[in-house]
Amino acid sequence: MSLHDPVPAPEDAGIQIRNLTVSYDTDRGRFHALNDVTLDIRPRHITGFIGESGSGKTTLAMAMMNAIHNPGRIDGGSVLLEGAGDVLRLKGEELRRLHGRYFGFVFQASSNSLNPLKRIGAQLMDLGRSHGVTDLRALLREAKTLAERMGMDGDRVLTSYQHELSGGMRQRVGIIFALVLKARVIILDEPTTALDMLSQQAVLEIVRTIHQERGLTTVIITHDMGVVAEMADRVVVLYAGRVVEEGPTQSVLRHPRHPYTRGLIHAIPRITGNLHDVEPLQGTPPDLATIPTIGCVFRERCPIRAPICDTVAPTPTSAHGDGIVTCHGVDQHD
Amino acid sequence: MIAEQLPQTPLVRPHRQSFLHIAWRVISARPSRILGLVIIVFFALMAIVGPLLYPHNLPINPNAIYAPPSLRYPLGTDFEGTSNLALIVTGARYVLFAALMAALFTVFFGTTIGLVSGYFLGPADTILMRITDFILTIPGFPLLVVLSTVWNFGQPIAMGFVLGITGWGGLARAVRSQTLSLRERGFIEAARGLGLPWWQIVFWEILPNMGPYIAMNLLVSITGGIYAEVGLFYLGVVPFHVNNWGVMLNLAVFTGGAMQSPQALPYLLSPLVCILLLTLGVVLFLDAMDEMFNPRLREG
Amino acid sequence: MGLINMIEVRGLVKTFPARGGLLSQKAVQAVKGVSFTIPDAGAVAFIGESGCGKTTIGRILTGLETYDSGEIYYNGQNLTSLTPRERQERLRKIQLIQQDPYAALNPARTIYQTLMAPLTWEAKRQQKNRDWMERRAREVLELVGLNPDVVLGKYPHMLSGGQRQRVVIARALTVQPDVLVADEAVSMIDVSLRLGILTLLQALRRDYGIALLFITHDIAAARYIGHDGRVYVIYQGEIVEQAATDELIQSPVHPYTQALLSAIPVLRGLEQPGPDRHIPLGEFALAEGNGCRFAPRCRFAEQRCRDEKPPEVAWQHEEHRHTCHYPTPRRVVPEPLEAKS
Repeated sequence: MSLHDPVPAPEDAGIQIRNLTVSYDTDRGRFHALNDVTLDIRPRHITGFIGESGSGKTTLAMAMMNAIHNPGRIDGGSVLLEGAGDVLRLKGEELRRLHGRYFGFVFQASSNSLNPLKRIGAQLMDLGRSHGVTDLRALLREAKTLAERMGMDGDRVLTSYQHELSGGMRQRVGIIFALVLKARVIILDEPTTALDMLSQQAVLEIVRTIHQERGLTTVIITHDMGVVAEMADRVVVLYAGRVVEEGPTQSVLRHPRHPYTRGLIHAIPRITGNLHDVEPLQGTPPDLATIPTIGCVFRERCPIRAPICDTVAPTPTSAHGDGIVTCHGVDQHD
Repeated sequence: MIAEQLPQTPLVRPHRQSFLHIAWRVISARPSRILGLVIIVFFALMAIVGPLLYPHNLPINPNAIYAPPSLRYPLGTDFEGTSNLALIVTGARYVLFAALMAALFTVFFGTTIGLVSGYFLGPADTILMRITDFILTIPGFPLLVVLSTVWNFGQPIAMGFVLGITGWGGLARAVRSQTLSLRERGFIEAARGLGLPWWQIVFWEILPNMGPYIAMNLLVSITGGIYAEVGLFYLGVVPFHVNNWGVMLNLAVFTGGAMQSPQALPYLLSPLVCILLLTLGVVLFLDAMDEMFNPRLREG
Repeated sequence: MGLINMIEVRGLVKTFPARGGLLSQKAVQAVKGVSFTIPDAGAVAFIGESGCGKTTIGRILTGLETYDSGEIYYNGQNLTSLTPRERQERLRKIQLIQQDPYAALNPARTIYQTLMAPLTWEAKRQQKNRDWMERRAREVLELVGLNPDVVLGKYPHMLSGGQRQRVVIARALTVQPDVLVADEAVSMIDVSLRLGILTLLQALRRDYGIALLFITHDIAAARYIGHDGRVYVIYQGEIVEQAATDELIQSPVHPYTQALLSAIPVLRGLEQPGPDRHIPLGEFALAEGNGCRFAPRCRFAEQRCRDEKPPEVAWQHEEHRHTCHYPTPRRVVPEPLEAKS
């Protein structure tokens, strides 16, 4: 198999994030987009990153790949990728090779990441060449098989320009791009936001199947609790650059410990059941410039705010068996 | 329905920063912009009050023909011994006023025709674009040469009008293509759905989105206008009725022989440097236009 | 709910002229003879995939698009017989809330200016003065839950997506609409803020009798706004099933409706998937021939489906109608789990 680089990535590509802090330089000053994030991304699991806009979920995914660019900056911490060491220490060609070998990234709107002037097949070959793949034919064959697995006509897709494909198809093409190089870690950034329900489910179904088949480490970034609930084995709830809750999805959904998680779950109108059970989350999504620097970042929107929240930032405590929750109010509320 | 029960809330007009306030903040953000503004204001003042500082007929001095720069004549003198400084100052009005007129005409015609054409499409668009194509194919400069034989360009407004009327084609095309993309945007559809009249949609909804572009065009057109008219006078194809920078250039080269003798050099250089300086001012100031007219770049 | 039908549409047809490109070389009939009614202060939802024609219907109703044939009755008056100008005037009372709140507000105009533009014309019609306009601007903003003192002087880029969508709704309210057509009005808004917008639309309907036409692919949102309303399922420009909201959700009989409902995410841990849930993976193919348009994607299709176009018939009672040769109710939506402790 000439598709692989000489040194293949190990089967189980877990990621250990330790004390990761990322800041952005804006004209209003320097703000922390991620603040001291410690997290394990387990191999062969689907992990969902959930949060509103400005919660830092995309930044976290980019930082995991050491792909933060100006005006952003990684201030500290480490990202240990199994078989590759600390990703944050790599740079240049080494880092690029690592990206090709380990990571597949599916962008929010895949159409924006495709070249409008080139056919999909040609772009795939470019991708292969840039990562030193010698057998381009095998690469295209692989892409075609993947396309057909996803319910598309493989030949048609490879000979199409991106504008000839529907939104759902483009998203699938994005996933093909992420998968052909045999990545071990697939990161999907809002993979279904622009899609209608049927295409969304189809895309999720494809991701789930391939994840299981290849034993991947998958990360889904989304603001939709429904997507996380359908897909993820574990969920990471982010708020203003901090992990506020983490644990097995079912446990988090059933017994959310953090008031923010509870709010997110209760804000989803359901198709069955009592309509009055839902209630909107109070306040507006966090703005990096105005979040408090002392105390709990969520307190302005918190229904169980206590005096201690104004002065002391909560520290992670164990919850959901092997998960965590970061809230002063967890004890009296469970 | 809703409108009938009006709560008697006290009326507070929304607080908005005045345009001047914003403009000053934008300009003062960079020294180059301030320099540009200073240069432009300097020449504008020169054009407005300059002619008032000197008698209508500038004094001549037969003893100081083509005099070099001195304390009495800071920029030297011309073939009659008239101060070049006085000539520059009194000549600025015609040049700048004609150029401003030219720019205003260009922007007015170009913007209006481009907007109307792009918004209505259909037959109106076809007719207006044919006219635009026609204007674009007219070689402006030769036309002016021809026109000058029958037309008296003693009034700067006449000069500005002719320069403007031949120059709006390109702008109209550009504005039309921007209008084409803007008219499909959600807020224009919303305005149509709300039953707003076409002229309000065109001039109050679409036009402000092109503010930076049009403001830049206005400034660039001014420099273009200066080049064109100075060129005309330099070539001597337009009869000299009043003193201006172009006339000075012409006389310096063809009468004073500034190309051969260094004597007339101050006479040639003073208008030249003024034009370059003014262009520099415009270019430096141009950079501020986008931020001044683009609300998206304003802070909350 | 009122008894009269404020809007009645019969046999609406819209064809878009041919365009270049590989996918659309022939004229596209986006709407193929659609009939529906919107009752006074009622709630109606159109659901279907992107490209099914539901957006086109909304744009026709709000006067942004013309139609080729069919009749639209508005308060009993046939709009088709009116001059375009008169029709436009009537349709002003039907306001569109667009999907993208970032495109729906003019970036070069403050919220104050945005609201004043339509209010100027309202004031002229009703012979009111500037004071009235200003009060009204503040009033509509308060109605949508925004603080006028904070918002009026701002430009759209200074507001969040949810706030923008509220401004868009406020702007629609300036003309005192009878109907709001919400075209995917919450799909681009953060999930956490969606419910707020939905609650607002719900309140406008309840408190001011503004009817809602909710165009969406999110059936749960449609249910939240009008569980006492009616849902029309649209597939390739045709209505394939229609029923009262909860009835359609609980016992859909058309396989396409079932596919759409199956696609609703299941909150595992709180819910379990419906026993008949099935999600078709393939992208939608345009049907050829005379048969049922959904047949190429339908897992229950038989030869008859490919040959013969199913007529619209009632299922059990007149209010629940569908176009399927083999209607079978199936339970596909997620069901809540019992224990919730």
